[in-house]
Amino acid sequence: MKLALLGVGNAGVRLVDELRGAEQRTQTPISDGNVLAFNTTPSTFAELEHIDESRQVLIGDTHPEVYQPEAVGEEGEIDKVDTESVDPREGVAGDPELGAAVAREDLPEIRRALDAVDDTEVDAAMIVAGLGGGTGCGVGSVLLEELVSIYEIPVYVLGVLPSADESDQRAWCAARAIRTFVPMADAVLGVDNEAWHTDESYNAVNKAVATRIISLFGAGEREGLPLSELRMDPNDINRTLDVGGVSTIGYAKTELSIEPDGWLQKLRGLFGGETTEPEPQTDATTIKKLVERAVDSKLTLPCDISTVDRVLLILSGPPRELSRKGFETGRSLLEDKTGTVEILAGDEPDTEATTVTATVLLSNVTGVPRIEQLQQRAVAYQTDAESTPAVTHEIDSNVEVDTEGAVEANEEADNGREADAESNPEAAETSDDSDAAVDEHGFRFTDKETVKPTELIDEAEPTTDEPPVDDSTDSSDAETPELSENEPTDDSDSTKPSEDADDSDADPNIKDPFAGGSATSDPSQ
Amino acid sequence: MKLATIGVGNAGSKLIDRMLEFEQQTGRDLCRHVLVINTARTDLAKPKYVPKDRRVLIGDTHQKAKGHGVGGDGEVGAEVAKNDIDEIRRVFDDVEIHEVDAILVAAGLGGGTGSGAGPVVIDELQKMYDEPIYGLGVLPGEYEGGRPALNAARSLQSFVTKVDNFVAFDNDAWRSRGQTVEEGYEEMNRELATRIVTLLAAGEVDGSEVGENAMDSSDIMRTLDTGGVSSIGYASTDLKKSDGLLSKYKSKNKDEEVNSMDAAKIKGLVRRAVNSRLTIPCEVSSADRALIVFAGPSSMISRKGIESAREWLEKEADTVEVLAGDDPREDSETLAAVVLLSNVTDAPRIKEIQNQAVDAQNKIAELDAVREEEITSLITDDNNELDPIV
Repeated sequence: MKLALLGVGNAGVRLVDELRGAEQRTQTPISDGNVLAFNTTPSTFAELEHIDESRQVLIGDTHPEVYQPEAVGEEGEIDKVDTESVDPREGVAGDPELGAAVAREDLPEIRRALDAVDDTEVDAAMIVAGLGGGTGCGVGSVLLEELVSIYEIPVYVLGVLPSADESDQRAWCAARAIRTFVPMADAVLGVDNEAWHTDESYNAVNKAVATRIISLFGAGEREGLPLSELRMDPNDINRTLDVGGVSTIGYAKTELSIEPDGWLQKLRGLFGGETTEPEPQTDATTIKKLVERAVDSKLTLPCDISTVDRVLLILSGPPRELSRKGFETGRSLLEDKTGTVEILAGDEPDTEATTVTATVLLSNVTGVPRIEQLQQRAVAYQTDAESTPAVTHEIDSNVEVDTEGAVEANEEADNGREADAESNPEAAETSDDSDAAVDEHGFRFTDKETVKPTELIDEAEPTTDEPPVDDSTDSSDAETPELSENEPTDDSDSTKPSEDADDSDADPNIKDPFAGGSATSDPSQ
Repeated sequence: MKLATIGVGNAGSKLIDRMLEFEQQTGRDLCRHVLVINTARTDLAKPKYVPKDRRVLIGDTHQKAKGHGVGGDGEVGAEVAKNDIDEIRRVFDDVEIHEVDAILVAAGLGGGTGSGAGPVVIDELQKMYDEPIYGLGVLPGEYEGGRPALNAARSLQSFVTKVDNFVAFDNDAWRSRGQTVEEGYEEMNRELATRIVTLLAAGEVDGSEVGENAMDSSDIMRTLDTGGVSSIGYASTDLKKSDGLLSKYKSKNKDEEVNSMDAAKIKGLVRRAVNSRLTIPCEVSSADRALIVFAGPSSMISRKGIESAREWLEKEADTVEVLAGDDPREDSETLAAVVLLSNVTDAPRIKEIQNQAVDAQNKIAELDAVREEEITSLITDDNNELDPIV
């Protein structure tokens, strides 16, 4: 499918640059040039190789609080990201509130830039951002808000989570970005730097992510490929991601040995001799194992795969290598492993390929330990920051005056306000555990209806137009009606003429037929 | 029989395409009108025998489809077809219905377009025409998983209630090791096309000579008149001299004489047709009516053979409503027997699909119920202290 790629912040624009490079390398056009790079500092623009200057948009360069360095990227190492190569004071200095403020101020600029993207030519838009950065998180939030309001197409976020050795501020920023992006975006695809960068450079992380994004979204986009039997259409991907939440990608490949007598074959072909189709190097078992490896592989964002909501599988390789049995048992295995039945699977035949790859999209995973860790760090950082007036300039809230400046007092006040819903977090935990399906994955529900977020920061934020809580609650509520698409209707039982259709006890449980049920008002039915 | 054929969705379209291929290769003239309908533009490019102007894209203006399929969701498939019903009706206008005896709608029931749009198309056809409408539906295999099973179980109800007869094809029965994805679907579609065309083309005056025991279109239609779900069996024997390796390989009865085929052999062929893979495995005795068509050179088919085969099937199917006749194909190098078992009521695979569907439906409902809550829980810290940015 076609994607408009919108990079935000240092990490985001670098990753989009990498994606563009991968598009060209693999000859898989997914963006068709619908690309933009937004940043609050020009530092990283200089190192971009695949994004035209006309597509680079500098935001907030006139804002008094945005720091612009005199000279750009003189000593910065190109293959390192963010905190390592860029002066931390640059741009919005990691402050997402400032990022958001700056983006709002420059909204006309952003809108003008968006004119260069043709949203009717693409199947979805994807914001690519490092969630730990002030620009990625802050500008990203405002951009997301804008895109969701102007585009009919789905808007996804490819968000990179900071690793453990990055600052607490970045963890805090990322946790808030997740809180902001997930309810607004149609889906957030997560990338965990922690899982990926330890043994590999950031550049390698970007490459790995690009490979996965291209394999997934680029399936069937390459020119000249044979027609697939079960093509994954853009709507298959969109439907898989439609449930929202956080998603992750798994990927595995099997190298095929290049036939040693390949040239001989070709030569024989030239002289009109018979060329024989090379023997398949894989079988049902290899293909099944490949699918299994993909889902067991290091996911872009590690998670408990049993918490996944929907799944999409793409098997790509030379048609002769794609065993039907392997494909089907692989798909069936995914159902067993994930516990969901919403699995779409397709093939991408590529006669010239030297590998067979399996790419698995796990949509709406809710068991993500990494996000919990970030949230814990973020809360600790925020609590700290609140007690240190020098860092938190926004604390002088007009509401909770009595608790200002004192950590304990603050926490008490928070708990006090939530007391009507839950006396303490443990109580909430236990009551939720008894609730349903989720508890085994270590989930804690926070009752969103009754527990209002503390507004220590946003309360005094001048650039936020609306109360933040209402905003997010609204957007998630608005999605709920769509989820009832499978509402059972019950007027079918009387209309079954064949015994086969009604001899099963199970039958009455199956919902109404698609047509001729309550949905049609046609009297002839 | 003269047929108007309509393929809905990817599987249905490919099936129709294979029917046209088989028809052309064997000099039959069954499909007088052809139409394929799909929600995915790319899939409409696949057929090789369906003329370009007989391929209809629906839902290209629909917000959820946009010409890129319906994401395997039968609900969306039905919705898209309903929205574009005028478009569909307009293409039917070209079909001169008095030229055809019946309409055949082919669809894969596991996918979104076939399962959802198929029944909507049939509804519309029923309103427009008096001719019988038959369904040809491919049921998903167990390994295709819960969602296709749910689509199929629901769509099967729609199909069976709306069509005059529903010929079922079970993907699982035709799976074999060693196939690639591509071959797998090709082979199945070819097998099914061979059966359906051989059966329905019988009794058609398409240059073939009228045999003395000739099967007539009206016989076939009468057999199909029962409604319900039907299964087709098929067996063929190679009539070429068994001197080549190839024919030895193909023909199971190597010692078969070339110039005559006695009653026992004819009966044996029918027995093989019934006992080999049926399009949907079923209890033969649960059939309501049955019909046998022999297609091949008329010299090969003796009246005595036909009668003994008919009697055998009468016993097997436990019904007196068994018709048998031939469809002379003088140039044919094979003799084929097709057995139609109409309204079979004991087909275990259907029950399996229904059970799988109920499980799937429950799982989907469970996920739906907690989805919002779980997402909120994931993105919110324990005490909800972290605020969104905007």
